[in-house]
Amino acid sequence: MSVSLNRDGSSKNQVLITSILFMGLSHILYFKQYIKGILYTVTEVVGICFIPFVINGIYNLITLGEPQPNLPVKERDNSIFMLIDGIMILTVISIFLIIYIMSIRSALQEYRDFCRNGLKSKAQNSAKHIVGNAFPAIGMAPAVLLILFFVVVPLVFSACVAFTNYSAPEHITPNNTVDWVGFENFKTMFGGEATWTSAFGRVAIWTLVWGVLATFTCYIGGLIMAVVLNESKIKIKGVFRSIFILPYAVPSVVSMLVWKNLLNGSFGIVNRTLMEIGMIHSPIPWLSDVWLCRAVCVLVNLWAGFSYFMLLIMGNMTAISQDIYEAARIDGASRWYTFRKITIPLILYQTTPLIIMSFTHNINNFGAIYFLTGGLPKVADSTLTSAGGTDILVTWIYQLTMTLMKYNYASVLAVVIFIVLTPFAIFSFRRTKSYKEGEL
Amino acid sequence: MKGSIGQKLLHIFVWIFLIGTSLFVLYPLVYVASAAFSDQQNIAALNIIPFGDGISFTNFTYLFEKTDFPKWFQNTLIIAISTTLSTVFVCALSAYIFSRFRFTLKKPMMMSLLVLQIFPSFVGMIAIYVILLRINGLNTLWGLVLVYLAGNIPYNTWLVKSYLDTVPKSLDEAARIDGASHFLIFRKIVLPVAKPIIIFLSITSFTAPWMDFIFPKLVLRSSKVQTVALGLFGFVTDKKNMFATFAAGSLLIAIPFVIFFVLTQKMLITSLGGGAVKE
Repeated sequence: MSVSLNRDGSSKNQVLITSILFMGLSHILYFKQYIKGILYTVTEVVGICFIPFVINGIYNLITLGEPQPNLPVKERDNSIFMLIDGIMILTVISIFLIIYIMSIRSALQEYRDFCRNGLKSKAQNSAKHIVGNAFPAIGMAPAVLLILFFVVVPLVFSACVAFTNYSAPEHITPNNTVDWVGFENFKTMFGGEATWTSAFGRVAIWTLVWGVLATFTCYIGGLIMAVVLNESKIKIKGVFRSIFILPYAVPSVVSMLVWKNLLNGSFGIVNRTLMEIGMIHSPIPWLSDVWLCRAVCVLVNLWAGFSYFMLLIMGNMTAISQDIYEAARIDGASRWYTFRKITIPLILYQTTPLIIMSFTHNINNFGAIYFLTGGLPKVADSTLTSAGGTDILVTWIYQLTMTLMKYNYASVLAVVIFIVLTPFAIFSFRRTKSYKEGEL
Repeated sequence: MKGSIGQKLLHIFVWIFLIGTSLFVLYPLVYVASAAFSDQQNIAALNIIPFGDGISFTNFTYLFEKTDFPKWFQNTLIIAISTTLSTVFVCALSAYIFSRFRFTLKKPMMMSLLVLQIFPSFVGMIAIYVILLRINGLNTLWGLVLVYLAGNIPYNTWLVKSYLDTVPKSLDEAARIDGASHFLIFRKIVLPVAKPIIIFLSITSFTAPWMDFIFPKLVLRSSKVQTVALGLFGFVTDKKNMFATFAAGSLLIAIPFVIFFVLTQKMLITSLGGGAVKE
């Protein structure tokens, strides 16, 4: 076995080919790095053992199983398991490929070191040293694996379902199989069937309106409270501040359900109180009139959400250096003037990214809608589409999944949310300091 | 003279405004307390004057004797603590690596963290259900902890990484020259330095399980392993309205939170102002 390499760099191709031939081979043959080499080799051997399993999995991913009406339900092909297993197999394959590429790059790196310094000593090849060098990979492993299997695989699965006919009543596993249908669901949602298209348009517009209104009411509410508390000379400020923190401290499920019960049209406390003191004669349909209910959603969300912004803005105000105010005062600026020209612009500048973040949060604010109204009141198409008057896209996804079991349409909506929100994420990414400074 | 009248008016106006807002904020909370201590069960029978039904503890005794409430509380506490500890460890470790090491795929990985973080995690709930089924994680607390942990990683890693970027690298470089291993540096230098952001992280990941509803409903099927939010929601469904029991349970959950938040408000303000904003 020839294990001699030239130190002038001419054996690069030899190393490259050996490392491509079998993972870790060049580490063992040329560089006497047995621990590392064996680890790589074992990885590849394990990988090879699973090849039949992998091929079967990918075949199932493509076909999603055959309908077998004559078999008992338990033995029929389960398309959904096949789909998820297929995606997981693809994930594992990509991890495997990344390790493969890492092993080749590592071999080439070893060769460069070899050309410069000759063979590494035993100490440099010890287990301890290898662990030290592999620290980034080992440390990232838990996070990467968890994200891959509990975040990425589910999302990819959900995106895939948008291209299948996985829906009640005809294509629900395990009784029946599911098939790929291409862009069928997208067509239905965007123009194919009038009911679905109009429901989608209505929900999408309300989602955007809701996102904007919810964000701005909370932001402005929080700003006003922070300013009033900070600028006024009231002695018991702390008491008020503690009161205003309460909505942030109370779990939102609790506060939304409490509001739901208080505002109940027939027996809610609010209506009964108003009738008792004679302000109204018949109950106000807080949660059963579409437009009133939407207004209530925004208002209750203001109740629940302004505290967070108040805390944020107060934090920002205290962080503004006193020197600026000092300088302004010496120049003869009034309090009102410094407030208008220093405090407000600084706060606005610092909290803009948070407005964007809060907007994406509100678009996805499941709790604020689901626990308060459950998407109700019903509108014309609710029975068919399950989308109520106050449903936003995420609560509609939930309803489609849980009540109607129209998983395919739910996934189409998820894809829509993805397409709409990703630019926001990338925008805020490009704003970050580390990105601007080119550290990444 | 004119100025002082204006000032006084403003002063009065501010008082009215603050008191009005306080009433609006306190309004629903007063009724929670009132319902919790009343002897009525249904909200329709509840007196519209707070505490008009007198004070009774029937709802609390019902909660502890007839329902699994103590068990739910215990479950949620276990979930919250394990989620917090694992989130802090995993996120801080990966944030440290992101902040201090250069490696292939670093930029795409950072980018995908940010994109993944905007997703409501229940979008993939069917797949999560099947994956948990495969690893026998259904109806178990650790299954839920895994789901929460994975959902917490993208945003929080990003948060801690941004914070660590502001910490001078000279600190850990000095230790590295002295021969400390990477993990030792992480434990002895990075974790203590990142304490403010880690406290913030702990608070957010500790509080979330108390309020979440979707994943417990998906993962935890039997009453013995349910969480508080799930159990409480069960009292006020469309089918039954046990508002007072619900209120009593909510009060028991909310009070520790309220005390905690009110006591730590100064710290919350600085950590929110300092930590979250300067990304």
